[in-house]
Amino acid sequence: MQCKQASEMMSTRLDGRLDEQDSALLDAHLAQCQACQNQWQKLQAIDRLLSSTSMVQSPVRVRVQVMTRLERRDQARRAIIGGTMLTLGTVALSLLLIAPVLFGLLNATGIAPVLIYGGPQALSHLLAVGENLGSTFVGLIEQLVIPLAILALCGLVSTLTLNGLWIGAMRRLRASR
Amino acid sequence: MTEESDWIREARAGDQNAFGRLVVAYQTPVYNLAYRMLGNKAEAEDAAQEAFLRAYTHLRSYDPNRPFRSWLLSIASHYCIDRIRRRRITWLPLEDEFAEPYHMTSKSPNPETVATQREQEEQVQGLLGELSPTDRAAITLRYWYDCSYEEIAEMLNLTVSAVKSRLHRARHTLAESLEGESTYAMQTG
Repeated sequence: MQCKQASEMMSTRLDGRLDEQDSALLDAHLAQCQACQNQWQKLQAIDRLLSSTSMVQSPVRVRVQVMTRLERRDQARRAIIGGTMLTLGTVALSLLLIAPVLFGLLNATGIAPVLIYGGPQALSHLLAVGENLGSTFVGLIEQLVIPLAILALCGLVSTLTLNGLWIGAMRRLRASR
Repeated sequence: MTEESDWIREARAGDQNAFGRLVVAYQTPVYNLAYRMLGNKAEAEDAAQEAFLRAYTHLRSYDPNRPFRSWLLSIASHYCIDRIRRRRITWLPLEDEFAEPYHMTSKSPNPETVATQREQEEQVQGLLGELSPTDRAAITLRYWYDCSYEEIAEMLNLTVSAVKSRLHRARHTLAESLEGESTYAMQTG
């Protein structure tokens, strides 16, 4: 037997996976090879050291820390969902408010037929519409900025309140279990 | 085990209290693995928390036919291996950073025993620090969790023969380091 093979067998023996036949071969090799015998003693020493070293005790706070981090993650997720819903709601409401004005403008300036049929007057019509849209947009912003701000604020306050109520309810539910 | 299965089922349904019970049941094995891998208490505590959070996130992918312990230790091992690889500096053991062995907290050993065990703890962590992250994980799973080649292979995504050769290589590295330490101690002491 080669020393390399014997060396592999030593590790397998320490794992309790060396069969009787190989074990006998290893012992025969060890009996005649001083280098491998030294190696075997060193491996047994490290095996004894590791086997006699106990597990280390986890600090009790690990559970509390894990649960706190889970709760924080849930709160962050709820806040993101609430914020997204609020933003989408505000955008949708703004579009609903602006849409009739825009449609009215399109009809008033006759942009729809021009866009459909084209023609030499299309460019001047488009420019006129552009100007109208620009001035209307500025006007709209001026008129809508306060209602939109109030709307967003109301949405924010209601989302935060609902979030707070939800978290409070969850805490009470957990405490009661 | 039935109780554990219930906790797992409830945790998978989103019950954080049930997951909390699993954390209590497995915090010492997970923390010990992280400590053996990372070598200090603060990092081990953080890694153990992170491993549990990852387990909770991926709880739906857990196969109930597989032992929960293996699945959890696999997550913790991979996390610790990645964490070691991300390190820019080599860890140097600090004496006051060594953790208390499990049995030391359950009994009241005399100061001499405590000192001996601390010394052994320090020696073991120093030796483990010589190994590559994957070899360290294999040795830890073999010695502290009594895992078979097959279990280690599954946990670390290795083949059985790779586990065998990693354990063989790791033992030889550790044996040489231990002998080096003994020789140095004899020369200086």
